[in-house]
Amino acid sequence: MAAKDELSYEQARAELASVVERLEAGGATLEESLALWERGEHLAKVCQRWLDGARERLDAARQAADGRE
Amino acid sequence: MTTPEKKKSTAEEPWPVRVVSQMISAWIARLGWVWVEGQVAQISRRPGTSTVFLTLRDPSAEISLTVTTNRDVLDLGAPELKEGARVVAHAKPDFFAGRGTFSLRADEIRQVGLGELLARLEQLKKLLAAEGLFDRARKRPLPFLPGTVGLVTGRASAAERDVLDNARRRWPAVRFRILNTAVQGPAAVPQIIEALKVLDADPAVEVIILARGGGGVEDLLPFSDEALCRAIFACRTPVISAIGHETDVPLIDFVADVRASTPTDAAKRVVPDLAEERRLIATARGRLERAMRHHLAREQQRLDAARSRPVLANPTAMLDQRAADVDALRHRAHRTLGYRLERADDDLRHTVARLRALSPAATLQRGYAIVQAADGAVVRAPADVSTGDALRVRLAEGELAAKVVAT
Repeated sequence: MAAKDELSYEQARAELASVVERLEAGGATLEESLALWERGEHLAKVCQRWLDGARERLDAARQAADGRE
Repeated sequence: MTTPEKKKSTAEEPWPVRVVSQMISAWIARLGWVWVEGQVAQISRRPGTSTVFLTLRDPSAEISLTVTTNRDVLDLGAPELKEGARVVAHAKPDFFAGRGTFSLRADEIRQVGLGELLARLEQLKKLLAAEGLFDRARKRPLPFLPGTVGLVTGRASAAERDVLDNARRRWPAVRFRILNTAVQGPAAVPQIIEALKVLDADPAVEVIILARGGGGVEDLLPFSDEALCRAIFACRTPVISAIGHETDVPLIDFVADVRASTPTDAAKRVVPDLAEERRLIATARGRLERAMRHHLAREQQRLDAARSRPVLANPTAMLDQRAADVDALRHRAHRTLGYRLERADDDLRHTVARLRALSPAATLQRGYAIVQAADGAVVRAPADVSTGDALRVRLAEGELAAKVVAT
């Protein structure tokens, strides 16, 4: 799951939104744009990892609860 | 009768029994005639004699006195006297020297009627209300799930069974500490007060139920007793009263923290219904999970939306655009260079034309010649040269060397 120093879901999502905005606004150099795009991909992966992890935990909790009953 | 000796008794000169007995008798007789009220705990009529012995008990405490009287007195004031009844007696303390026992000798006994008892209860109710024993603000809330439930009730009574069965049906793991007491008659109040004290002192007991099944108005009188009301008020543990049927309202119902209409009702109030709680928890858990899933789905949508934006979904677009820019620039560069080359060509042509236009060749062709001195200067006037100077003559088709003959 998420590394210790990794962003929270909300931080990652907010930064992702700002990266997309900056990319869409244009005006950055190619090198900057590439760096932004790479950052965006990374942030999107972080977000997805959080969501997948949350779903797994939810399923595990439900299975545990169903198992008890 | 001899008068008691004034001298103090000592080990060497003790008083005889009769003397001590007489002294006691004299002391007791000083009280004189009194009116006393109590509850009849026991009546014994000695066969063959007219003497009747009554055990008269305080309804609120384990204190009793023996009253002796004769049958005529009873027949006159309390012909239907039964154990448990309240009586008022006019009596005088009497020391029976033969056995060293003491009793009250009554010459008048009146049974206290039910109407009067109820009237007194009304008065007591007003008094206790005025003192604040019934105040709503003083009521303590019941614990949601008590560790141990204290139960004061009659041994093997229907009330005990009702409380236990119903409480266990609702919450099978419920723990009880049961103290069985008399629930009617003269012993009831002191025993119940003692049981309350024991349960109140037990830290595990978090709520106390006082339960008794239905009964006659007189049977329920202990539950309107002032001392019991005060004992309940003094309890630190919340108390539930569950006395008789719905319609019975003994005074402890007003003092107790919760009044249950019946012992079954008390069971319902003291523990939650396990099945019902399970249902509530299951519902809550379902809602919790749905809310969580909904939240996740919403976040997934937001993330998908961000990722499907062209800037992220199609990153080569970023390069394509720039490649197109580069192409366009290259074209512009080409075009720009082309113009400049053409213009340079034109310039060159014009310049050549102008150069050509300025050339003397055409003039020479027409037969003119250019005369130049030895240093190359064009000779325009005879004064420009001297006799003997060498000259170059440039013709259309070539050059001549000449010499100045004369000027």
